[in-house]
Amino acid sequence: MDRYEPKRHHNPHAHVIHAPGARLMHGVKLRYVWNKVSGHGHRSPNASLNLVSFIDFLSVIVIFLLMSFSASGEIAVDKNVKLPKAENVDAIIDAPMVAVNGNQILVDGVQAGSTRSIEELGRLQKIDELFALLKNKRELWKQVQPNKPFPGVCILQVDQNVSALVVKSVFQTAAFAGYPNVSFMVGKIPSTGP
Amino acid sequence: MGGVDVDTGGKKRSTNSEINMVPFIDLLFVTVAFLLITAVWVTNSRINADAQVPGPPDPNKELTPQTPEKVLNLHIGENDFGLVWKQGATVVSEVKVPKTPVELGDGDSKILRYPDLAKKIEEEWKQQGGHRDPSDKKLDQCILHSDNRTQFKEIVAVLDALYRPKREMKLGAETKQVPVFNMTFSVR
Repeated sequence: MDRYEPKRHHNPHAHVIHAPGARLMHGVKLRYVWNKVSGHGHRSPNASLNLVSFIDFLSVIVIFLLMSFSASGEIAVDKNVKLPKAENVDAIIDAPMVAVNGNQILVDGVQAGSTRSIEELGRLQKIDELFALLKNKRELWKQVQPNKPFPGVCILQVDQNVSALVVKSVFQTAAFAGYPNVSFMVGKIPSTGP
Repeated sequence: MGGVDVDTGGKKRSTNSEINMVPFIDLLFVTVAFLLITAVWVTNSRINADAQVPGPPDPNKELTPQTPEKVLNLHIGENDFGLVWKQGATVVSEVKVPKTPVELGDGDSKILRYPDLAKKIEEEWKQQGGHRDPSDKKLDQCILHSDNRTQFKEIVAVLDALYRPKREMKLGAETKQVPVFNMTFSVR
C-alpha cells in the first residue's frame, strides 16, 4: 500500500486510528527515498539469488566424490619407483609390499637387499634379507590368525626400468618365503575395448 | 530460497512455507570438503602371477598319474614372440608373432603395448585352451620365457596382452569375466 496515495478521510479526528497495513520504513520522509527502498515502481534493491542451480551443482559434486570414494585409502608407492602401466588389471588387495627400485629392495619401507648386487652377479639368486623379512611376516600373520589359511599373496612395486633378472630373483625369493601368489603393482590405463 | 507452494485459496494463514536452505547448503559444503580431503586420486592396480609351487601331498589321497595339461610357453625374443603350446615335453603347436610395439605417450611416461600379440594369444587360446567352461575354476597356464636383460615395462606389456582374452567363470551365484591365463616365470 502506497502511503503517498491521496487521503480519503477528511475528518480531522480520523488520524488517531489508521487502517492496518505496512508499517516498515515509516520513518522515511522523502518520497523519492521511500519509493526507492520499498521498490515501488522500480527494481527492488534486495536481489534474491536462485539457489536451485547452486544446490544442484553441489549435489552433483557430492555424488561424484562419493562414487570415487575409497575406504581403503591410498597405498604408498616408493617415490623412487616409476610403475609401468597396463589395461587388463585387477583391484589392489591388502598384502605385504615389496618395492624394487634401481638400487634397493624394500619390504614395507624396510631395506631388504640391493638390486645392484644381483645385476653384478648376473644370475638368478635367492635374496637372503628379503627371504628373512618375508618369512618373519608370514610367521607373524600365522600367529595372529592361527585358524585361517595363509593367502600367500605379496605385491611387488617394481620400477619399469628394472631388469627381468632382478624381477625373477625377487619373485623366486618371495615364492621360497611362502608367498607363491605374487602380484605386480601397475598404474591403470583406461580400457580401449576389444 | 526454496519453498513449498500449496495454494488452498482460503483466507486462513498462508500455506506457502519457506524451507531454510542454509543448513542444507552447509551440510553439502562439509560433505564436499570431507570427500575432497579424503579422495584418492592415484589409482594403482595389480597384475596377477603365480609361482606354481606345489602344495604338500595329502597322505589320505592316493596319487594317480595324470595326463599333463597343455601349457602355453611365451618366449620374448629380440624381434618376435614365440607362442608354443606344450603338453609335457611334446610340442603341440608353435607360432611366431612379429614384435610390433605400439607406444602411447612420450618421454618418461611412454606406455608400451602389444595389441597384435593380444589378438594372436586370444586366437591360440580359442584353438588350444583347455579350461573354457564357466564352472571350471582352473585357468590355462602360461610360462613366460624372457632374457635377463628385458626391462620390466616390456614384461608388463606382454602380461597386459596375455591377460586381455577373458572368459566367464561362475563364482558362487554370480558370473565374472576373468583372464583365461595365469602366468608364471620360467627359471633355470
